[in-house]
Parts: sequence; C-alpha cells; structure tokens
Amino acid sequence: MELEASQVTVRFGGIRAVEDVSLRLGRQEIIGLIGPNGAGKTTLVNALSGFQKPRSGQIRLAGDDVTGWSPDAMARHGVVRTFQAVRLFQGLTVAENVETALLSTGADRSAARAHARDILAYLHLSERADTPANGLNYGDERRVGIARALAMEPKFLLLDEPAAGLNIGEAQELGQTIARIPNDFGCGILVIEHNMALVRDLCERLHVLATGMTLVEGTPAEVMAEPAFINAYLGAEA
Amino acid sequence: MTRPYTHSAQTARARPMLARLERLVPLLLLVAAVAGIMLLSSQFGIVQQRRVTLAFISLMSVVGLYVFMGNSGVLNFSSVGFMAIGAYVSALLTMRPQVKATFLQDLPGWLAEAQLDPVLGALAGGVAAALIALAVGLPIMRLSGIGAGIATLSILIIFYIVLGNWSGVTGGQRSLMGLPTYVTIWNAGLAAIGAIVLAFVYQESRSCLALRASREDEVAARAVGVRVVRERLTAFVLGAFICGIAGVFYGHFLGTLRVENFYLDPTFLYITMLVVGGMRSLTGAVLGVIVISTLTELLRLLEVGARLPGLEITLRAPAGLGDVVLAGLMLGIILFRSQGITGGREITLRGLRG
Repeated sequence: MELEASQVTVRFGGIRAVEDVSLRLGRQEIIGLIGPNGAGKTTLVNALSGFQKPRSGQIRLAGDDVTGWSPDAMARHGVVRTFQAVRLFQGLTVAENVETALLSTGADRSAARAHARDILAYLHLSERADTPANGLNYGDERRVGIARALAMEPKFLLLDEPAAGLNIGEAQELGQTIARIPNDFGCGILVIEHNMALVRDLCERLHVLATGMTLVEGTPAEVMAEPAFINAYLGAEA
Repeated sequence: MTRPYTHSAQTARARPMLARLERLVPLLLLVAAVAGIMLLSSQFGIVQQRRVTLAFISLMSVVGLYVFMGNSGVLNFSSVGFMAIGAYVSALLTMRPQVKATFLQDLPGWLAEAQLDPVLGALAGGVAAALIALAVGLPIMRLSGIGAGIATLSILIIFYIVLGNWSGVTGGQRSLMGLPTYVTIWNAGLAAIGAIVLAFVYQESRSCLALRASREDEVAARAVGVRVVRERLTAFVLGAFICGIAGVFYGHFLGTLRVENFYLDPTFLYITMLVVGGMRSLTGAVLGVIVISTLTELLRLLEVGARLPGLEITLRAPAGLGDVVLAGLMLGIILFRSQGITGGREITLRGLRG
C-alpha cells in the first residue's frame, strides 16, 4: 500500500509552485522532503493531503485515484498531515484536541477519552492532558500536534517541519520519537525538515525540491554527494 | 494492529459514576437556577410573572442561538426568523376554526379546519423551523465571518418580507389575533429547562466537539477529518428547532402575532444577551438572559419613576435610557471582556471552569 503523487503540478496564478513532481511513500518508511524556502514542499504536502487540488497529475492512495478529495476525507482515509504552525484548537484542552481526531475515526466519546490519554502518554504529554492548548510551551505544542495526527490512526503521516523552533536537544528527542512511529503505528512518514542532521538520521530516502521541481532523490548519502544538491540547497542556505 | 501504548481503560473505569456526575454539574446548576427563578416568581403578582415568563421565552431563543453560534463561532442573525416560523405554524394549527375564518378567509380548506392539541402544534412549529433551517442552511454553512453574517441577515429579511406579504396565510401587515393563550410561567419555565437540557446533551456529543474544533481552527479541523459543513448544519437545525419552539411560546403568550415582533429589535437583543453572558458556553447564554432581563426591568422601572424606600426623592430616568445602557454594556463587554461575563466557561461547584 502506497501514497503516491504522480506528475503533480500546482500553479498559483502564473507562478508554478510544484511542477511535474512524482513521489511514492510506503507504509513502513520515513522519507524526507527537503529544499530551500519556496521550493514547494508545503504545497506538495497540501496536494497529497487534499488541501490543494493539483492543476494536473494524480494523487493515488493504495492505487485508487483520490485527486480532488476533500482534506477531511483524506484524513479519514488515513492520509494525515500536521502544520508548520501546528494549528492546535486553542480554546480546547490538550486531551480534547486529541479526542476530536479520535471521534472522527468513529470512536465513541468514552472510548475516545480513554484512548486520548494513551496517545498523550506515548508522547510524554500525560501531565498536560487538561491544560488548555493555548497554555503550552513551544515543544509541547509541537508534540500535541503530532499526538492529534496519530489519533487519526494514519496510514501515511505528513509532518510539516515538526522540529521548527526547537533547540538541538528537543529536536533530537523528537527525532527519536518520530523514528519509532512507523513501527509502533504502522504508518509511513513524509517529513519536511530543514535540520539536516535530523533528516540524515531519520530518513531512508530523501526527495529534494528546488523551485517546484524534483532536483534529486535517493538515500541521504547519495543525495548529499550530488553536486546539484550541494549547489542548490546548501549553497542557497549558506 | 498492536498498540504500542497501554490502554488506560481501567483507570478510566475506576470512577465512572463520579466522573460522569461531575460532567453533569453545569447542567444541574443551570436547571436549578431556572427552577428557582420559576418558583420564586410564582409568589409574585401577575405582572411580574408575565415579565419572568417573557424572560423564559428569551432564554429559550438565546439557548437556540447559542447552540449554533456559540459552538460554531459563526455569526447568525437569522434565529428570530425561525421563531417567526414556529409561531405562525403553531398559530395556524391550533387557532379555533371560527377565529381563523374571521381573520384569514383565504386559507386552504384543511388548514382552515385544523385545530391541533397545543403540544402537537408546538412540536409542529419547532419541526417546521428545523426543516426550513435544513433547506436554507445547506448552501450557507460553508460561510464564516462577514459572509455568514450577511447571508443569515438576508435570510431574516426574506422571512420577514415573505411573512409580511403572504396575507392569505399570515394576515400580512395586519396582526393575527386569537391565538390560544396557554403560556404560563410554569410551562414556559419547563420549556426553558427543556431547551437547556437539549443544548447540554448536544454539547456533550461528538458532533459538537468536532464543531467546537472547527470554531477554533477550521483548517486544522478538516485535517483531523471533521466534516465542517455537516457539523455546522446539525447545530443550525437543532438551534432552529429550539428557536421555533421559543417562537411558539411567544405567540401563545401574547395571543397576537405581528411580523414586526420577529425582526431586528429582538435579533439584536438576543445577540446582546448571548455576547454579554459569553457566547462560548451554555452558562453564558443563560446568565446573559438573566443579567440583561433584570437590568432591562430595573431600567424600565427607573424610566417610569422609582421611589427609594425611606427617602423623599423620586428617581426618574430619561426615556430611552434602557436602550442606551444595553448598547453601552455590549460595547464595554466587546472592548474589555470579549468572551463575556463567563469568559466562555461553564459553571461548576468551584465557580467558572473551562
């Protein structure tokens, strides 16, 4: 079972945000989507998760064409994304944030209430369960975002810069948690991340975008040896 | 799939009764408050009783408004229009055929003959409002913000104009008189309690938690699988049902219907009540009605001229003071306490909690 983008193109007005990009994500792997700012990484995640309808190309889930599905339908069918800005339900408690996701998978309220505690425990957030989401520190907020996504029982989890703004220690810890998820939850992960050390440790494959197009793909070692990558990515960052 | 984490179902089952009771506390306190007011004011004279009865009817309507607007965060100006539908449907179904023949000669035969039991008429009024909400809500539930405000205001205007010109059925611009006046402080109070219970049960449902999530962040709600339009429509229809029943009580309280009674004045009064109390909690809806109704009553007494006990002075406020104070209160709340008196929290034994 795979989540697949096939020759996907997204344009905003005259600007091409993503151009003819193809990508496959399997159920047990972690792949990294990297590239300089404005390369189209988030746009590609939007297309994969139903938030952006591609101008051309297909999104396929387990072989079925799901192009043009609504984001909530994609989420209920196991394609779940997080946001760079996290976007928790600020007025609800941490537990309610997770429960909302559980309920849309069909759990009843008391089952969801119990299950939410388990997922929060998995992410070391048990003490935060009854805190309003707007009272969290930055690191906890990011972990709740992931907890809420895991509550959907994802088959494919799309993480948009999960470590943004975390310090080195926090980022490493989060990396270790993410590394366990495919095995523990049986889902494939696509992660957008700028922290190259994290990406190298976490991902089996990397997909590099630049100005909306695929620059290179391959194992981290292959990609980092590629001259085009060194120029476009590290060159632009430096 | 094996779960990587242990199920805490045991801990959750350890104190289910206590936990469940604790969740019911806001409901019990609100019901007790309304029942208390009902019992207390039944000791007063008929004039005061009628004021309290009217406040109970406002309470029903504001709770109906809260069900949609409070939980979805989407502006709604149309609720009084659904009161009108409830009121007219119940009136037409319960008035005596002889009375209908006097005021409405052009009614279709079956409607001219109909004379339902008041309870059935009231239910028919609520159901009619809910069905019409389902029809008009479908296209507009994807809107939020100013778009939703304009759309729901348009609905109110359409209802007003249609009811005001459909002379054969509503009497048009003339008043429709002769409704059976069965409303008392008792049945209005019980209906208000019923509205509170309905709103509370809905509020504890999964549908409502999904709706509240979409209120906090619509995009993130879609990302966790929430069908935003469907959840909004559910609340809109339930809210319209409660408002429809409120309209039924209003009509059978006054005994006379005029379309002007279901237009802008009550629309803004009810929104003020909800906003002042705090539109994100049921406690806020109830408290807003109590505070504004009490204040309006005191200001009305002051406008008539009140004599302070033991003093020789008569206090008299200029006419129109009531409206000015209400507008000022609304302004103050929006500026300094935008979540209302309750701050969007429900009442518990320890005070107000999130």
